[in-house]
Amino acid sequence: MNQDMIDQYISGSMSESDAQAFEEHCLANPEFARQVEYEQRLKIGIAQVASGSTAEFVRSESPLRWSFAAAAGVLIALSAVFYVWNTSHTPVPTIMAAVVDHSPVGDASMRLALVRGSDSIPSLPGGLVRVEIVGLFEAGNFYSVALDRREQNQNDTIATLNDQRPSSPMSLDVLIDGKQLRPGSYSLRVRKQASGEEALDFSFLKP
Amino acid sequence: MDFIPGGELSRRIRDGDVSAESELIRQFEPGLRVLLRRRTGGDYGLLQDLVQETLLIVIQRLRGEGIDDPQKLAAFAAQTARNLAIASLRKAERQRTDVDSEATERNADPSQSVDRIASDLEAALAVRALLRELPQARDRLMLKRYYLEDHDKDLICQELELSEAAFNQALSRARRRFRQILEERGFAKRDLLSLGI
Repeated sequence: MNQDMIDQYISGSMSESDAQAFEEHCLANPEFARQVEYEQRLKIGIAQVASGSTAEFVRSESPLRWSFAAAAGVLIALSAVFYVWNTSHTPVPTIMAAVVDHSPVGDASMRLALVRGSDSIPSLPGGLVRVEIVGLFEAGNFYSVALDRREQNQNDTIATLNDQRPSSPMSLDVLIDGKQLRPGSYSLRVRKQASGEEALDFSFLKP
Repeated sequence: MDFIPGGELSRRIRDGDVSAESELIRQFEPGLRVLLRRRTGGDYGLLQDLVQETLLIVIQRLRGEGIDDPQKLAAFAAQTARNLAIASLRKAERQRTDVDSEATERNADPSQSVDRIASDLEAALAVRALLRELPQARDRLMLKRYYLEDHDKDLICQELELSEAAFNQALSRARRRFRQILEERGFAKRDLLSLGI
Protein backbone atom coordinates (compact mmCIF):
# COMPACT_ATOMS: atom_id res chain seq x y z
CA MET A 1 0.00 0.00 0.00
CA ASN A 2 1.34 3.44 -0.89
CA GLN A 3 0.33 7.10 -1.03
CA ASP A 4 -1.19 6.72 -4.49
CA MET A 5 -3.55 4.07 -3.18
CA ILE A 6 -4.49 6.28 -0.24
CA ASP A 7 -5.23 9.08 -2.70
CA GLN A 8 -7.37 6.78 -4.83
CA TYR A 9 -9.30 5.53 -1.81
CA ILE A 10 -9.93 9.05 -0.47
CA SER A 11 -11.02 10.41 -3.83
CA GLY A 12 -13.36 7.46 -4.36
CA SER A 13 -11.70 6.41 -7.60
CA MET A 14 -10.78 2.93 -6.35
CA SER A 15 -12.91 -0.04 -7.42
CA GLU A 16 -15.13 -1.54 -4.71
CA SER A 17 -13.14 -4.78 -4.52
CA ASP A 18 -9.85 -2.88 -4.24
CA ALA A 19 -11.43 -0.58 -1.63
CA GLN A 20 -12.45 -3.60 0.43
CA ALA A 21 -8.94 -5.04 0.28
CA PHE A 22 -7.58 -1.61 1.21
CA GLU A 23 -9.93 -1.42 4.22
CA GLU A 24 -8.90 -4.85 5.43
CA HIS A 25 -5.28 -3.75 5.17
CA CYS A 26 -6.21 -0.74 7.34
CA LEU A 27 -7.74 -3.01 9.97
CA ALA A 28 -4.61 -5.10 10.08
CA ASN A 29 -2.31 -2.03 10.20
CA PRO A 30 -3.51 0.57 12.73
CA GLU A 31 -0.70 3.05 12.03
CA PHE A 32 -1.40 2.96 8.30
CA ALA A 33 -5.10 3.44 9.08
CA ARG A 34 -4.29 6.55 11.13
CA GLN A 35 -2.37 7.95 8.18
CA VAL A 36 -5.39 7.38 5.94
CA GLU A 37 -7.69 8.92 8.52
CA TYR A 38 -5.63 12.12 8.62
CA GLU A 39 -5.95 12.31 4.87
CA GLN A 40 -9.71 11.88 5.09
CA ARG A 41 -9.92 14.63 7.67
CA LEU A 42 -7.66 16.95 5.70
CA LYS A 43 -9.97 16.65 2.72
CA ILE A 44 -13.05 17.18 4.90
CA GLY A 45 -11.44 20.19 6.57
CA ILE A 46 -10.47 21.79 3.28
CA ALA A 47 -13.98 21.30 1.93
CA GLN A 48 -15.43 22.85 5.08
CA VAL A 49 -13.11 25.87 5.01
CA ALA A 50 -13.86 26.40 1.34
CA SER A 51 -17.60 25.99 1.75
CA GLY A 52 -18.07 29.63 2.68
CA SER A 53 -15.31 31.25 0.66
CA THR A 54 -12.01 30.23 -0.87
CA ALA A 55 -10.38 33.51 0.19
CA GLU A 56 -8.15 31.78 2.73
CA PHE A 57 -6.56 29.72 -0.02
CA VAL A 58 -5.68 32.64 -2.23
CA ARG A 59 -4.79 35.42 0.21
CA SER A 60 -1.44 37.10 -0.23
CA GLU A 61 0.94 37.96 2.55
CA SER A 62 0.67 41.44 4.01
CA PRO A 63 3.47 43.14 6.00
CA LEU A 64 0.77 44.52 8.30
CA ARG A 65 -0.12 40.95 9.29
CA TRP A 66 3.29 40.57 10.92
CA SER A 67 2.85 43.80 12.86
CA PHE A 68 -0.44 42.53 14.24
CA ALA A 69 1.13 39.16 15.01
CA ALA A 70 3.99 40.82 16.90
CA ALA A 71 1.58 42.99 18.89
CA ALA A 72 -0.58 39.97 19.69
CA GLY A 73 2.53 38.06 20.80
CA VAL A 74 3.48 40.79 23.26
CA LEU A 75 -0.07 40.89 24.63
CA ILE A 76 -0.17 37.12 25.06
CA ALA A 77 3.21 37.12 26.83
CA LEU A 78 2.06 39.87 29.23
CA SER A 79 -1.20 38.03 29.89
CA ALA A 80 0.71 34.83 30.61
CA VAL A 81 3.00 36.58 33.11
CA PHE A 82 -0.02 38.16 34.83
CA TYR A 83 -1.86 34.81 34.91
CA VAL A 84 1.09 32.90 36.37
CA TRP A 85 1.70 35.59 38.99
CA ASN A 86 -1.98 35.69 39.89
CA THR A 87 -2.53 31.96 40.13
CA SER A 88 0.65 31.37 42.09
CA HIS A 89 -0.65 33.73 44.80
CA THR A 90 -4.20 32.37 45.03
CA PRO A 91 -5.10 28.95 46.53
CA VAL A 92 -7.17 27.00 44.00
CA PRO A 93 -9.81 24.55 45.26
CA THR A 94 -9.82 21.10 43.67
CA ILE A 95 -12.74 20.78 41.29
CA MET A 96 -11.85 17.47 39.65
CA ALA A 97 -9.60 14.67 40.88
CA ALA A 98 -8.39 11.31 39.66
CA VAL A 99 -9.76 8.15 41.25
CA VAL A 100 -7.01 6.27 43.05
CA ASP A 101 -7.00 3.44 45.57
CA HIS A 102 -7.52 5.65 48.60
CA SER A 103 -10.00 8.05 46.95
CA PRO A 104 -13.16 8.85 48.92
CA VAL A 105 -16.24 6.92 47.78
CA GLY A 106 -18.09 10.19 47.08
CA ASP A 107 -21.54 11.38 48.08
CA ALA A 108 -23.11 10.25 44.83
CA SER A 109 -22.26 8.72 41.46
CA MET A 110 -23.11 9.41 37.86
CA ARG A 111 -22.51 7.45 34.64
CA LEU A 112 -21.98 9.25 31.36
CA ALA A 113 -22.18 7.61 27.95
CA LEU A 114 -22.53 8.98 24.45
CA VAL A 115 -25.96 8.41 23.01
CA ARG A 116 -26.56 9.95 19.66
CA GLY A 117 -29.84 11.70 19.20
CA SER A 118 -30.66 11.83 22.88
CA ASP A 119 -32.37 15.03 23.94
CA SER A 120 -31.81 14.71 27.68
CA ILE A 121 -28.67 15.84 29.42
CA PRO A 122 -27.83 14.34 32.84
CA SER A 123 -27.61 16.50 35.95
CA LEU A 124 -24.68 16.38 38.31
CA PRO A 125 -25.82 15.48 41.85
CA GLY A 126 -24.64 17.67 44.74
CA GLY A 127 -21.48 17.06 46.79
CA LEU A 128 -18.53 14.93 45.78
CA VAL A 129 -19.56 12.86 42.76
CA ARG A 130 -17.83 9.82 41.36
CA VAL A 131 -18.31 10.03 37.59
CA GLU A 132 -17.97 6.91 35.46
CA ILE A 133 -17.31 7.76 31.82
CA VAL A 134 -18.45 4.89 29.62
CA GLY A 135 -16.71 4.29 26.30
CA LEU A 136 -14.13 2.14 24.58
CA PHE A 137 -10.73 2.68 26.17
CA GLU A 138 -7.38 1.06 25.56
CA ALA A 139 -5.93 -0.29 28.76
CA GLY A 140 -2.33 0.54 27.93
CA ASN A 141 -2.94 4.20 27.11
CA PHE A 142 -3.19 7.45 29.06
CA TYR A 143 -6.13 9.77 28.65
CA SER A 144 -6.64 13.44 29.44
CA VAL A 145 -9.94 14.60 30.91
CA ALA A 146 -10.84 18.29 30.64
CA LEU A 147 -13.80 19.84 32.42
CA ASP A 148 -15.28 22.69 30.34
CA ARG A 149 -17.89 25.22 31.30
CA ARG A 150 -20.07 26.27 28.36
CA GLU A 151 -21.32 29.79 28.10
CA GLN A 152 -22.82 31.39 25.02
CA ASN A 153 -21.08 29.14 22.52
CA GLN A 154 -17.81 29.51 24.37
CA ASN A 155 -16.00 26.82 26.30
CA ASP A 156 -13.75 27.60 29.24
CA THR A 157 -11.62 24.77 30.52
CA ILE A 158 -11.75 24.95 34.31
CA ALA A 159 -9.92 21.74 35.24
CA THR A 160 -7.78 19.17 33.46
CA LEU A 161 -6.48 15.77 34.47
CA ASN A 162 -3.70 14.20 32.46
CA ASP A 163 -2.26 10.69 32.46
CA GLN A 164 -5.50 8.98 33.46
CA ARG A 165 -5.78 5.24 33.03
CA PRO A 166 -9.16 3.62 32.32
CA SER A 167 -10.52 1.42 35.11
CA SER A 168 -11.62 -1.13 32.48
CA PRO A 169 -11.77 -1.31 28.66
CA MET A 170 -15.23 0.25 28.96
CA SER A 171 -14.88 2.91 31.65
CA LEU A 172 -12.77 5.69 33.12
CA ASP A 173 -13.58 7.24 36.51
CA VAL A 174 -13.01 10.73 37.94
CA LEU A 175 -14.24 12.63 41.00
CA ILE A 176 -15.96 16.00 40.63
CA ASP A 177 -16.75 18.32 43.50
CA GLY A 178 -20.23 19.60 42.62
CA LYS A 179 -20.01 22.27 45.30
CA GLN A 180 -17.27 24.02 43.32
CA LEU A 181 -19.37 24.33 40.16
CA ARG A 182 -21.76 27.16 39.48
CA PRO A 183 -25.13 26.19 37.98
CA GLY A 184 -24.84 25.86 34.23
CA SER A 185 -23.82 23.65 31.35
CA TYR A 186 -20.60 21.62 31.44
CA SER A 187 -18.82 18.92 29.54
CA LEU A 188 -16.10 16.39 30.18
CA ARG A 189 -13.76 16.14 27.21
CA VAL A 190 -11.87 12.86 27.07
CA ARG A 191 -8.94 12.42 24.73
CA LYS A 192 -6.35 9.72 24.21
CA GLN A 193 -2.98 11.33 24.84
CA ALA A 194 -0.17 11.30 22.29
CA SER A 195 -2.62 10.68 19.49
CA GLY A 196 -4.42 12.82 16.99
CA GLU A 197 -7.69 11.13 17.79
CA GLU A 198 -10.68 13.29 18.34
CA ALA A 199 -11.75 14.05 21.88
CA LEU A 200 -15.17 12.90 23.02
CA ASP A 201 -17.53 15.24 24.83
CA PHE A 202 -19.81 14.14 27.65
CA SER A 203 -22.24 16.92 28.49
CA PHE A 204 -24.00 17.42 31.81
CA LEU A 205 -25.80 20.14 33.73
CA LYS A 206 -25.15 21.51 37.18
CA PRO A 207 -28.60 22.51 38.48
CA MET B 1 3.09 -1.81 19.85
CA ASP B 2 3.26 -5.23 18.25
CA PHE B 3 0.50 -6.46 16.03
CA ILE B 4 -1.21 -9.58 17.34
CA PRO B 5 -2.54 -11.91 14.61
CA GLY B 6 -6.28 -12.50 14.42
CA GLY B 7 -5.96 -16.18 15.29
CA GLU B 8 -4.20 -15.44 18.56
CA LEU B 9 -6.59 -12.61 19.46
CA SER B 10 -9.58 -14.87 18.78
CA ARG B 11 -8.18 -17.63 20.96
CA ARG B 12 -7.33 -15.32 23.85
CA ILE B 13 -10.72 -13.60 23.80
CA ARG B 14 -12.48 -16.97 23.73
CA ASP B 15 -10.41 -17.92 26.79
CA GLY B 16 -11.65 -14.81 28.65
CA ASP B 17 -8.52 -12.66 28.33
CA VAL B 18 -9.77 -9.07 28.85
CA SER B 19 -6.44 -7.57 27.73
CA ALA B 20 -6.92 -9.24 24.35
CA GLU B 21 -10.25 -7.40 23.99
CA SER B 22 -8.44 -4.10 24.65
CA GLU B 23 -5.81 -5.10 22.11
CA LEU B 24 -8.50 -5.88 19.53
CA ILE B 25 -10.00 -2.41 20.06
CA ARG B 26 -6.56 -0.79 19.76
CA GLN B 27 -5.77 -2.64 16.55
CA PHE B 28 -9.09 -2.36 14.75
CA GLU B 29 -10.50 0.99 15.81
CA PRO B 30 -8.42 3.20 13.44
CA GLY B 31 -9.21 0.98 10.44
CA LEU B 32 -12.89 0.87 11.30
CA ARG B 33 -12.97 4.67 11.49
CA VAL B 34 -11.44 4.86 8.00
CA LEU B 35 -13.92 2.36 6.59
CA LEU B 36 -16.96 3.91 8.27
CA ARG B 37 -15.97 7.53 7.63
CA ARG B 38 -16.21 6.70 3.94
CA ARG B 39 -19.63 5.11 4.41
CA THR B 40 -21.32 7.54 6.78
CA GLY B 41 -21.09 10.68 4.67
CA GLY B 42 -19.34 12.81 7.26
CA ASP B 43 -21.85 12.06 10.04
CA TYR B 44 -19.44 11.82 12.96
CA GLY B 45 -22.07 10.72 15.47
CA LEU B 46 -23.12 7.82 13.28
CA LEU B 47 -19.47 6.95 12.63
CA GLN B 48 -18.76 6.69 16.36
CA ASP B 49 -21.91 4.65 16.97
CA LEU B 50 -21.06 2.18 14.23
CA VAL B 51 -17.41 1.80 15.30
CA GLN B 52 -18.52 0.93 18.83
CA GLU B 53 -21.30 -1.35 17.60
CA THR B 54 -18.91 -3.21 15.29
CA LEU B 55 -16.35 -3.74 18.06
CA LEU B 56 -19.02 -4.97 20.47
CA ILE B 57 -20.42 -7.40 17.91
CA VAL B 58 -16.96 -8.76 17.08
CA ILE B 59 -15.99 -9.14 20.74
CA GLN B 60 -19.29 -10.81 21.65
CA ARG B 61 -18.96 -13.16 18.71
CA LEU B 62 -15.41 -14.12 19.75
CA ARG B 63 -16.51 -14.61 23.36
CA GLY B 64 -19.26 -16.94 22.13
CA GLU B 65 -19.39 -19.08 19.04
CA GLY B 66 -16.26 -17.59 17.43
CA ILE B 67 -15.74 -17.11 13.69
CA ASP B 68 -15.14 -19.67 10.96
CA ASP B 69 -11.61 -18.58 10.12
CA PRO B 70 -9.92 -16.73 13.02
CA GLN B 71 -6.99 -15.85 10.73
CA LYS B 72 -9.42 -13.63 8.83
CA LEU B 73 -10.57 -11.68 11.86
CA ALA B 74 -9.82 -8.31 10.20
CA ALA B 75 -11.93 -9.25 7.19
CA PHE B 76 -14.75 -10.37 9.48
CA ALA B 77 -14.67 -7.06 11.40
CA ALA B 78 -14.56 -5.08 8.16
CA GLN B 79 -17.56 -6.92 6.72
CA THR B 80 -19.48 -6.48 9.99
CA ALA B 81 -18.85 -2.72 9.79
CA ARG B 82 -19.94 -2.60 6.14
CA ASN B 83 -23.15 -4.49 6.95
CA LEU B 84 -23.93 -2.12 9.81
CA ALA B 85 -23.31 0.90 7.57
CA ILE B 86 -25.62 -0.51 4.90
CA ALA B 87 -28.30 -1.30 7.49
CA SER B 88 -28.00 2.18 8.91
CA LEU B 89 -28.34 3.73 5.47
CA ARG B 90 -31.43 1.64 4.74
CA LYS B 91 -32.95 2.62 8.05
CA ALA B 92 -32.32 6.28 7.33
CA GLU B 93 -33.89 5.87 3.89
CA ARG B 94 -36.96 4.18 5.39
CA GLN B 95 -37.33 6.92 7.97
CA ARG B 96 -37.07 9.51 5.27
CA THR B 97 -39.83 7.93 3.23
CA ASP B 98 -42.02 7.27 6.29
CA VAL B 99 -42.29 10.97 6.95
CA ASP B 100 -43.36 13.52 4.39
CA SER B 101 -40.56 12.95 1.94
CA GLU B 102 -41.26 16.08 -0.07
CA ALA B 103 -41.20 18.25 3.02
CA THR B 104 -37.97 16.58 4.13
CA GLU B 105 -36.41 17.29 0.77
CA ARG B 106 -37.51 20.88 0.98
CA ASN B 107 -36.40 21.55 4.53
CA ALA B 108 -33.38 19.41 5.21
CA ASP B 109 -29.90 20.06 3.98
CA PRO B 110 -27.99 16.83 4.69
CA SER B 111 -24.66 18.58 4.44
CA GLN B 112 -25.69 20.85 7.30
CA SER B 113 -26.88 18.34 9.91
CA VAL B 114 -25.70 19.02 13.45
CA ASP B 115 -23.43 15.98 13.40
CA ARG B 116 -21.86 16.97 10.13
CA ILE B 117 -21.22 20.55 11.08
CA ALA B 118 -19.53 19.49 14.32
CA SER B 119 -17.55 16.81 12.57
CA ASP B 120 -16.24 19.17 9.94
CA LEU B 121 -15.53 21.96 12.38
CA GLU B 122 -12.62 20.15 14.01
CA ALA B 123 -10.85 19.39 10.76
CA ALA B 124 -11.68 22.88 9.50
CA LEU B 125 -10.00 24.49 12.52
CA ALA B 126 -6.85 22.50 11.85
CA VAL B 127 -6.93 23.38 8.15
CA ARG B 128 -7.33 27.08 9.01
CA ALA B 129 -4.30 26.84 11.31
CA LEU B 130 -2.37 25.09 8.57
CA LEU B 131 -3.30 27.71 5.95
CA ARG B 132 -2.18 30.49 8.27
CA GLU B 133 1.22 28.84 8.57
CA LEU B 134 1.84 28.14 4.91
CA PRO B 135 4.13 30.94 3.76
CA GLN B 136 3.52 30.65 0.04
CA ALA B 137 0.21 31.35 -1.66
CA ARG B 138 1.20 28.68 -4.17
CA ASP B 139 1.14 25.97 -1.48
CA ARG B 140 -2.35 26.97 -0.34
CA LEU B 141 -3.60 27.01 -3.89
CA MET B 142 -2.06 23.60 -4.46
CA LEU B 143 -4.05 22.14 -1.55
CA LYS B 144 -7.24 23.66 -2.89
CA ARG B 145 -6.65 22.28 -6.36
CA TYR B 146 -5.72 18.84 -5.12
CA TYR B 147 -8.17 18.16 -2.29
CA LEU B 148 -11.11 20.36 -3.16
CA GLU B 149 -11.16 20.33 -6.93
CA ASP B 150 -9.63 16.85 -7.33
CA HIS B 151 -7.27 18.06 -10.04
CA ASP B 152 -4.65 15.71 -11.35
CA LYS B 153 -1.11 16.17 -9.99
CA ASP B 154 0.34 16.77 -13.43
CA LEU B 155 -2.19 19.47 -14.18
CA ILE B 156 -1.49 21.25 -10.90
CA CYS B 157 2.27 21.07 -11.46
CA GLN B 158 1.82 22.55 -14.91
CA GLU B 159 -0.50 25.30 -13.73
CA LEU B 160 1.63 26.30 -10.75
CA GLU B 161 4.94 25.71 -12.52
CA LEU B 162 6.06 23.11 -10.05
CA SER B 163 8.25 20.08 -10.52
CA GLU B 164 6.73 16.78 -9.39
CA ALA B 165 9.33 16.55 -6.62
CA ALA B 166 8.47 20.04 -5.35
CA PHE B 167 4.76 19.17 -5.46
CA ASN B 168 5.27 15.96 -3.48
CA GLN B 169 7.49 17.70 -0.96
CA ALA B 170 5.02 20.54 -0.36
CA LEU B 171 2.08 18.14 -0.08
CA SER B 172 3.95 15.86 2.29
CA ARG B 173 4.93 18.85 4.46
CA ALA B 174 1.31 20.04 4.59
CA ARG B 175 0.05 16.58 5.55
CA ARG B 176 2.65 16.24 8.26
CA ARG B 177 1.88 19.68 9.69
CA PHE B 178 -1.89 19.04 9.62
CA ARG B 179 -1.36 15.88 11.63
CA GLN B 180 0.90 17.72 14.08
CA ILE B 181 -1.68 20.46 14.60
CA LEU B 182 -4.38 17.93 15.38
CA GLU B 183 -2.10 15.99 17.71
CA GLU B 184 -0.88 19.08 19.55
CA ARG B 185 -4.17 20.81 19.99
CA GLY B 186 -6.53 17.84 20.20
CA PHE B 187 -9.53 19.74 18.92
CA ALA B 188 -12.62 18.64 20.80
CA LYS B 189 -15.75 17.12 19.46
CA ARG B 190 -18.90 18.73 20.74
CA ASP B 191 -21.51 17.09 18.58
CA LEU B 192 -22.68 14.30 20.83
CA LEU B 193 -25.11 14.65 23.66
CA SER B 194 -24.37 12.54 26.70
CA LEU B 195 -26.83 10.64 28.79
CA GLY B 196 -26.68 9.54 32.41
CA ILE B 197 -27.28 5.81 32.62
